Amino acid sequence: MFSEQAAQRAHTLLSPPSANNATFARVPVSSYTNSSQPFRLGERSFSRQYAHIYATRLLQMRPFLVSRAKQRWGGGVQVKKLCELQPGEKCCVVGTLFKAMPLQPSILREISEEHNLLPQPPRSKYIHPDDELVLEDELQRIRLEGDVDASRLVTGTVLAVLGSARDSGKFVVEDHCFAELAPQKPAPPLDTDRFVLLVSGLGLGGGGGESLLGTQLLVDVVTGQLGDEGEQCSAAHVSRVILAGNLLSHNTQSRDSINKAKYLTKKTQAASVEAVRMLDEILLQLSASVPVDVMPGEFDPTNYTLPQQPLHPCMFPLATAYSTLQLVTNPYQATIDGVRFLGTSGQNVSDIFRYSSMEDHLEILEWTLRVRHISPTAPDTLGCYPFYKTDPFIFPECPHVYFCGNTPEFGSKIFRGPEDQRVLLVAVPDFSTTQTACLVNLRSLACQPISFSGFGAEDEDLGVLGLGP
Amino acid sequence: MADQLYLENIDEFVTDQNKIVTYKWLSYTLGVHVNQAKQMLYDYVERKRKENSGAQLHVTYLVSGSLIQNGHSCHKVAVVREDKLEAVKSKLAVTASIHVYSIQKAMLKDSGPLFNTDYDILKSNLQNCSKFSAIHCAAAVPRAAVESSSSEKFEQSNLQVSSETPANNELTTNGHSPPTSKQIFQQPKGIMGMFASKAASKTQDANKETKTETKEVFSTGNKAPGKGNVMSNFFGKAAMNKLKVNLDSEQAVKEEKIVEQPPVSVTEPKLAAPTGLKKSSKKAEPVKMQQKEKKRGKRVELSDDETKETENMKKKRRRIKLPESDSSEDEVIPDSPGDYEAESPSPPPPPPSPPPEPVPKTEPEPPSVKSSSGEKRKRKRVLKSKTFVDEEGCMVTEKVYESESCTDSEEELKMKTSSIHRPSTMTVKKEPKEERKGPKKGTAALGKANRQVSITGFFQRK
Repeated sequence: MFSEQAAQRAHTLLSPPSANNATFARVPVSSYTNSSQPFRLGERSFSRQYAHIYATRLLQMRPFLVSRAKQRWGGGVQVKKLCELQPGEKCCVVGTLFKAMPLQPSILREISEEHNLLPQPPRSKYIHPDDELVLEDELQRIRLEGDVDASRLVTGTVLAVLGSARDSGKFVVEDHCFAELAPQKPAPPLDTDRFVLLVSGLGLGGGGGESLLGTQLLVDVVTGQLGDEGEQCSAAHVSRVILAGNLLSHNTQSRDSINKAKYLTKKTQAASVEAVRMLDEILLQLSASVPVDVMPGEFDPTNYTLPQQPLHPCMFPLATAYSTLQLVTNPYQATIDGVRFLGTSGQNVSDIFRYSSMEDHLEILEWTLRVRHISPTAPDTLGCYPFYKTDPFIFPECPHVYFCGNTPEFGSKIFRGPEDQRVLLVAVPDFSTTQTACLVNLRSLACQPISFSGFGAEDEDLGVLGLGP
Repeated sequence: MADQLYLENIDEFVTDQNKIVTYKWLSYTLGVHVNQAKQMLYDYVERKRKENSGAQLHVTYLVSGSLIQNGHSCHKVAVVREDKLEAVKSKLAVTASIHVYSIQKAMLKDSGPLFNTDYDILKSNLQNCSKFSAIHCAAAVPRAAVESSSSEKFEQSNLQVSSETPANNELTTNGHSPPTSKQIFQQPKGIMGMFASKAASKTQDANKETKTETKEVFSTGNKAPGKGNVMSNFFGKAAMNKLKVNLDSEQAVKEEKIVEQPPVSVTEPKLAAPTGLKKSSKKAEPVKMQQKEKKRGKRVELSDDETKETENMKKKRRRIKLPESDSSEDEVIPDSPGDYEAESPSPPPPPPSPPPEPVPKTEPEPPSVKSSSGEKRKRKRVLKSKTFVDEEGCMVTEKVYESESCTDSEEELKMKTSSIHRPSTMTVKKEPKEERKGPKKGTAALGKANRQVSITGFFQRK
């Protein structure tokens, strides 16, 4: 791992100065392709209904589900459409799930006068025991009951259910299955250790001084300023840095200009201006030393709906001088040194977190992989562009590294698929709170967290450093 | 010896200047590899402690290594105080590196000041931030200047000005009034031209608004060298000693001052005080000038804060300044044969000069500065207000440029740029000047309303 490799060289820095100081060359980019083209939007038109995206989603997913269903329940299982259902007949139906949640915030209900509802405060989870599942296909919908856990599923998931329809008009489910993993091309083997650093949630402009030192330490490690020769040598093997969203803090989003009187806000600058300036300096330092991919996140100055478009280069006048800086979309897909990366800034996972009972972000990440869809809840509860030709969030093939940013804590797992696919799942933690980033070793497909700390007045014990007993 | 030099340097930084010396700060300051800087710091600490065990030195270290946490091996990088070093080291399973992070005299409560030190030195070295680092990336090559300059033009509108050539500015400053472009093209050739463009390029770094300032720079740049030459002719004159000192200092530091001048003149429509005076106030000067310096400093700050006001002032400024700059250029470049209005021999009323109020202020200062090289009649374009009735029967008042005849002596009334820089405004005779001083003060309040070309017009008519 990174540390072990770093420790291999002798310690030279606690000694008088020597004339020759080693300089290491950054590992050159052996191959890099950006495959985020499906997430790039050209001319945007919002005059369409969102129904088209569901229609195309079902259309694209149907063949995968039918084959999975046949694998799981035998080739003889009958796959029927809802309109062909006979009561009492056991069959398999493929459709899109809809979960009717009473607690789901609905603007129509809020402003409707007959309900007299006060606006609901935001909750961390909107699930309720009374949630009901409905299966929809191209023409009809039917209520689902039986052996299906409504709390774990979310709206927008396409799945296949095995069961039979009852006279009451409900479908009793015996078993269900998802599309599971897409086929995966094997990654070519690498001969040297190469690392990719994943960071998310830098949270600049948030006013937290502690995280700034951590950010500076991170930049220093990657650019080879910090550490002994061994560590610098290992850092030279970091071939890429991916900043997965939320580069700006949530605090930069406050819009005083809306709430306050004009004369109070006239000469004030938006908080994001200063934050972007700091970000530009950080990106300059990074891109002078390593290729960087910058993904926008929930609080970054780009569009709100998924897929988020890249940040505009005019915001980074210093850093865009270097061609190593790349501004990319969210979600982001690329092949780095033969290893396929796919990841988001975390909006998809946190949205599923809100509407299902799953607690662990890594678990949710795995679940989206199994459902073969990056964010099933878009466009229902997560903003999304009204696609109509294709749904770009369906996995065309299985990546080798699948990550999501801005999770509350670090998590990493190797997941094995039914066709021997091997995926490294990484939940990249929010840097501004955890001071932790992730180092992915491309050769061994392992991930090591790397955390930074300074010292403060109050930590007389080592608890803050995480080194407590 | 070079070896010992760094020890002395570190000693000076830590003990005398009471700085926080981080390895990064030392690396940039001494221009050495970061690892060498770390070793230097360690060496210094060891030696200092050996010679004087009671030395008041607090050291922070950087420790990194791996640690088993929550089931995975986490790589930790931590900045720790010296007293915690051993404890942290013992917790790590594998220690990857330890080195000195910083040395300072005082005990640090938290790591905030370390960050600040690093941030400050980084800000001043942004362009070569990876020069002393241990990793060099072959792919990280800044894009060619040609490509970046096109993006810079785009950035100019965002008030982000990196170093640019004056040519760039000329291209991007669209919407200039004709006199401005005329000014630019009429830049003195030769040395003075070189000087002006050099001054201009220096100014670009400091400028935020390129439009008016470009023009101002060129105009003052023009005046500066010309004035210098003519000034030397007048050195024999009485009470010119101060001026000599001023001039010498100015010649030496002209460029820096020109840098300050545009923002000042931009913000200060009432900036009557010749900027030359202000510049000379840099040297040991009378208190008045120093006060002006302070005022200017304040105004420069104001300009930073209130861009809107600046813009408005600038707009006003523009109209006022132009004719003056034009007139000053008469020395160097003859006025273009425009419409010569055969008017009465008496000079037409001067254009509205904003600085009538400050003029009395500046007058008491170096009175000897003002001199005129003879009472020549020159044609120049001045801004005048014309009132007429248009086709709809409405009265319309417009400001137009008209070529008018006036004397050089009127130029001294054109406040703004330092009279030192304008040989044309230097009077040989002091008496007529003093007379003018009086009326100047008297008519200061009238200013624009009078529509006099110069204050002396008041005399000559009689």
